[in-house]
Amino acid sequence: MKILKENAGPLTNFEVLDFLRSRGAAKDPTRVLASVAPSEFKVYDYLEHTAASSQTKESITEFAAKCKPYKLTKSEIINIVNIRPSSSVEIYPLIENLEARLEESVEELVELVLQVFPSSEEQSKSDE
Amino acid sequence: MQHKQIRVHFINSRRPHYFYSPPFTTTVHRCGAARRPPPFTFHYPHSNFLRGVNMFNLTKLEHTLRLEPHLLTLPLNEAIKGELERLFVDKIIAKLGLCISVYDIESIDGGFIFPNEGAPTYTVKFRLIIFRPFVGEIISARLKESNADGLRLSLGFFEDIYIPELLMPEPSEAEPDPENKGQVKWTWLFNDEKYLIDGVDEIRFRVQNIKFPEIPREQKDPKPFAPMEIIVSS
Repeated sequence: MKILKENAGPLTNFEVLDFLRSRGAAKDPTRVLASVAPSEFKVYDYLEHTAASSQTKESITEFAAKCKPYKLTKSEIINIVNIRPSSSVEIYPLIENLEARLEESVEELVELVLQVFPSSEEQSKSDE
Repeated sequence: MQHKQIRVHFINSRRPHYFYSPPFTTTVHRCGAARRPPPFTFHYPHSNFLRGVNMFNLTKLEHTLRLEPHLLTLPLNEAIKGELERLFVDKIIAKLGLCISVYDIESIDGGFIFPNEGAPTYTVKFRLIIFRPFVGEIISARLKESNADGLRLSLGFFEDIYIPELLMPEPSEAEPDPENKGQVKWTWLFNDEKYLIDGVDEIRFRVQNIKFPEIPREQKDPKPFAPMEIIVSS
């Protein structure tokens, strides 16, 4: 076995979730018939609990486009999409040198996140 | 491919391989030379951005595999995909991480039958989805068990996530749990209030280190062996 390319591309949680869904993970409640292994089902369950379950492709591309004025790096954008911080406290650990780079627009960034991924709050509150 | 639209934004294909400094410690390096891990600090420097990796990554691999003759009745793609899944899914590849599933197959070559064999051998290039958080990433997981050495968290599909005692939020103290033997309840003292860490709390933590310990020769430890361990701090 040879590793050709160790890092062929990062995937957001949503992309992995979408991939598993396209293989039929969601439609089968009995978990036997779909061509998805049991271990993959566990990944699917985990991802359903996170923010990625309520996202769509369009919302992610929309967010990436709207983020451009803030000059975030790709890994920061991926982290924000995956975690979906709902307050500025949650954004602090994700972005380096936050105050130096963004200064006052941190609040705007948080609002942008909430605006583009709107169903986050209802999802997390309706769970448990 | 339906995913291409999104991946254009996130692929860092310009990152050369050697900028990626691995955060893990290994006792034996398979290729011979032992590499020292870079010193990690709580301040996350620019090396985090140079890597551009994420919790889930695609990795391109090449593998020569034998296809058993009883599988030859299936269409070739399906037979090879089944074999790859049997070989790689839910297994940990050293230094790469946990393989979640086969993303796609890029090319299948070969199909020759070597002398003295009954099964054809194919050289397949394919991509796997690998779970491998990077140092400094923030993940939320559930508490699985706690003992005097610290906490252990689980993600459902991956359960060897440890918070050692030194990296617990300060100050916190441990009290022996009256219900379960050998387990300890941790409480966090914050602003003079006690927060109990127990139950099925979902905790957000930051990855500090990933270890890929070497496969042991003898089974001395009663604990089942973990090929990949993630050390985190909360």
